Parts: sequence; C-alpha cells; structure tokens
Amino acid sequence: MDPTPVDTTVAVRALTKRYGRSTVLDRVDLDLGRGVTGLLGPNGAGKTTLLRCLATTLAPDGGEIRAFGLDPAHRGQRTGLRRRLGYLPQDPGFYPHFTVFELADYVAILKELTDRAERHREVRRVLAEVDLADRARTRVRKLSGGMKQRLALAQALLADPDLLILDEPTVGLDPEQRMRFRALVSRLGESRTVLLSTHQTEDVAALCERVVVMNGGRVVFEGTPRELAGVAAGQVWISDEPPSGSALFWRTADGRYRALGENPPGGTPAVPAIEDGYLLLLGAPVEAVA
Amino acid sequence: MSTTWHLPDELTERYATGRLDPAQVMSVEAHLARCGRCRAAVPYEPEWLAASWERVADVVDRPAPRLAERVLHRFGVPGHVARLLSATPSLSRAWLAALTAVLAFAVACARLVPGDEDVLLAFLLVAPVLPVAGVAVAYGRHVDPVHEIQAATPMSGPRLFLLRAVAVLAVGLGLTGGATLLFPGPLGPSAAWLLPALVLSLGLLALSGRISPLLAGAVLATGWFGAALICHAVLNDRFLPFHPAAQALYGAAALALLPLVYLRRRRLAPGEPRWTRPQWTRP
Repeated sequence: MDPTPVDTTVAVRALTKRYGRSTVLDRVDLDLGRGVTGLLGPNGAGKTTLLRCLATTLAPDGGEIRAFGLDPAHRGQRTGLRRRLGYLPQDPGFYPHFTVFELADYVAILKELTDRAERHREVRRVLAEVDLADRARTRVRKLSGGMKQRLALAQALLADPDLLILDEPTVGLDPEQRMRFRALVSRLGESRTVLLSTHQTEDVAALCERVVVMNGGRVVFEGTPRELAGVAAGQVWISDEPPSGSALFWRTADGRYRALGENPPGGTPAVPAIEDGYLLLLGAPVEAVA
Repeated sequence: MSTTWHLPDELTERYATGRLDPAQVMSVEAHLARCGRCRAAVPYEPEWLAASWERVADVVDRPAPRLAERVLHRFGVPGHVARLLSATPSLSRAWLAALTAVLAFAVACARLVPGDEDVLLAFLLVAPVLPVAGVAVAYGRHVDPVHEIQAATPMSGPRLFLLRAVAVLAVGLGLTGGATLLFPGPLGPSAAWLLPALVLSLGLLALSGRISPLLAGAVLATGWFGAALICHAVLNDRFLPFHPAAQALYGAAALALLPLVYLRRRRLAPGEPRWTRPQWTRP
C-alpha cells in the first residue's frame, strides 16, 4: 500500500492541535491528490479540527500544511490558498433574512467576484448545481434543513475552487439528494482535490478513491476503500445464532448475525465491507441488536 | 395545441428581418407561441439568444437592493461593498433602532429638563461607547453566524473587519452627532464626547489584532467608565474627562493611535487564527 498519491496537492506534516490538556490532533501526516478522499472516524476523532486547519479557519499548534505549494502560516499565502478553496463547515451559519440568491451572492463577493454580471452568473450556476435555482428568491429562514445544507454546498462551489473541504456534507439530505450530491462530487473530483468527512461508509464506497480513518487525533488508516474493507478479510462471518465469543456482531435485516473477529460456531465466511474494516480498525464494541 | 397551417417561408423571412407591420407581427408571434416547427424555422443567433436569456434571468433572480444598500450606493459606495456591509450585525435594523432609541431618549430628557447637568453628563459618558460597541459586534465568530464560512474566504480578516468598522463608525458617529445638534444650549459642551469616541474607537482597532473586538470593546468601555468614576469619587470633578485639557490629551492620543492603526492594518485580524511558525520542517 502506497499512501502517497502520485500528484500530491495538499501535504500535512506533524499537524498538532491542543485544547487545554486535550490533544485533538496528534502529529497528523497526510497527503492528498486530485480526486475524492473520504475522512472517516468516530465523534471526537479530530476530523473537524483537521478540516478547519486545512480550511485556514483554525491555526494548529504545531506542524505544517502545504496546499498547492502555499503555506497558510504566511499571511499572503494564506489569502492565496483561500482563493483556491471551497469550504463547507460542519455547522454552516446563515443570515436568516437573506434570500438564497443574496446569501450566495454575499459569499461570492467575499471570494472576490466583484463584477456583478459575472458574479450573478456564477451564483446561478452553483444554485443550479445543487438544485436550488427555483428557490433563489426564498428567504433562508424558510428553507428546510436539507435545502440549507444544499445552499451551504453551493457557496462552497463558488469561484470554481481547486480544493474542496466538505465537513459532513450529506447530513440532512434525502436519498435522492444524496445521489445527486454523489454525482456532483465525483464529477468535481475528476479535476480537483476533494476532502470530505462523513459518518456514512456508503458515501465513501460510492465516492472516494481514497479513504483516511482517524481515531484519537491520529491517522490510523490511509488507503483505498477496497484496502479498508481488506482489513477485515477473513474476519467477517455470518451465523444463525448470536455469537457468544465475539465482541463485534449485530443482527442483519434477514435475521442472521454478522460477526467480526474469530469464527463463531456455525459461522460461514462473508465478503468484508468498508464498514467491517472500519469497525475492526477502531475496535469499537457493537451492541447486539435483539 | 396542434396546427396544420404553417408560416410561409416568405412571411418568416419578412418577420425575421423586421419588414412586417405591427398587426402582422402580433399575428405571426401568436402563431409562433404555439407552433414549435415555425419557431424552429425563425433564424436566430445562438450567442445573442443565450445572452438575452441570461439578462432576463439576472433581472428575475437579482434581489432588490436592501434599504442600507440603496443608501450606501447613494453615497457612492460600490454595489458589492454595499452588499458586504449590509450583512454587518451592527448595521442591522434592530441595532440601528436601538441606537436611535437611546439617542432619542437622551435628547428628549435634555429638552424636557434643560440645563440639567446629570442628563448632559450621562450623554457625554455613554456617547463615546456607542460607536465602540458597534465596532465590537461588527465582526467575529461570536457575533456573526456566517463567520466560519467567511473566515475561509480571501476577503476575511483585516479587509472585512476594517470595512465594517469604518462603516459602523461613520453611522455611529453620524447618528450621535445628529443627536448632539438637537441638544439644547451651546454645541461645545454637548459635543465633548467626540474626541473620546475617536480615541476609544482607534484604541479598539489597535487592540483588535491581539484580542477579539468584543473583549477589546469591553476592556475599553470598562476603562472609560472606571476613569470617569475616579474623576467623580477621587478628584471631585464629574466633568474632568471633558475639560479642555482632557480634550487636548484625547487629540494627542488620537494622533498617536492613527499611524499605529495604519501600520498595523494588515494585522487587525480579529478572529483570524494565529498561525505559529512551523515546528517541524519536512526533510
């Protein structure tokens, strides 16, 4: 397994962030290239902190970031990096009295699109990308959660960024919107660097060429989704009875039990999925569903 | 609705070249509206059509400028800057209404009880803090719901903060100045808040690169009221902060702070993360 992409656009070295005595990022090393990279990890793993450092909204306590050769520790280069950045934060805030068009227009101005005609064309483009064109005149306070999430995604797409950082972008999207989102992001990933954090292993399987798993502020896995699933090779079993010796098992939709680890009595081997590899990496006990 | 009759080529050609009278144009367009085949036969320039649709879409989608934007535009502020400023928390209608109410109350009290020193003193003490409070809540993570998004854009940091601060100061000083003109009696004493307001505002800008504007505003307001309390309790002169000698001191302080703020203008980055130099360098 070679964790370094061929065309590295973003390099992170020994990135460290502490809040008081708690170390949220612990000397994280990471390389990103063009394409979509998924960031998986449990709550508190440091995913959002890492994304905020990369999005230049949070300064690390130590380590180094280089994106397209730019060092955000330098003021001028930080601004240069922001010109090539699209960022969807975990909890995007809005001005509720603004319309959808006004909010996107506002962020477009912040991205230095000062020519009105060009800016409005760009706003219409991104609203159409996220299927919000017919809501352009709706006030933000009247949008549903899914629509707000799509608006947050639209603002990240403004000015055609080279680096897209998306923190849990599929939260609040219904299955159809999620499919559209996957199609959009996989198209964007053809020519850009996209890093998205998610709790959805299905998103990773459908979208990501690479996957990074974080736990306790460290990168514990970096590779392809197939390699992540391969972590569980030979350790996934299906049985009719709840396995007594296995700490990781759950009941599936067909009433049988999927177990990770040692072969339970009567167990038959199963093809490992990304979720299996992820759970084994974290070693988290799974409650059996009665 | 289907149709069996279609425009003759000669009529289509005369329509496309503008050689029909208005009645014929209306008749042809009524037919074109329901006949795709004839519409397709009318020659057009794709670029012209695309540009026309874009202009139409822009007119339909473009939001009407807000009141604040229209006012700013009238004062010569470019449209995109006016839109940026319209999102400033301390330029919101609620904030401006509260500020106007405070000033109106002060003016009403002064006019109802002319010559009352307590009313004048209260106005002079509060007036310098009003624009400072406006700047303190103009920018930052805790006062702006969109801060996390805008912090990742190239306009964030000193550029946006200074833009908003200047606008808020202009509005705050303007409204307070207007209230001063409505005060009874000579203008001099009731305008004695102006220089302290300038010093406190410049002080906030100077501090904001080191601490958040909210904290800087709180520190300065506390210091200002504390100094006034000391003048009253220890020096037995409630109006000492507004004496001519004190005004000279404020003038000197403002002159000293102006170049300092100018020199540090690129570092006035409240809420901007403080990046340290790399602790580790790639071999």
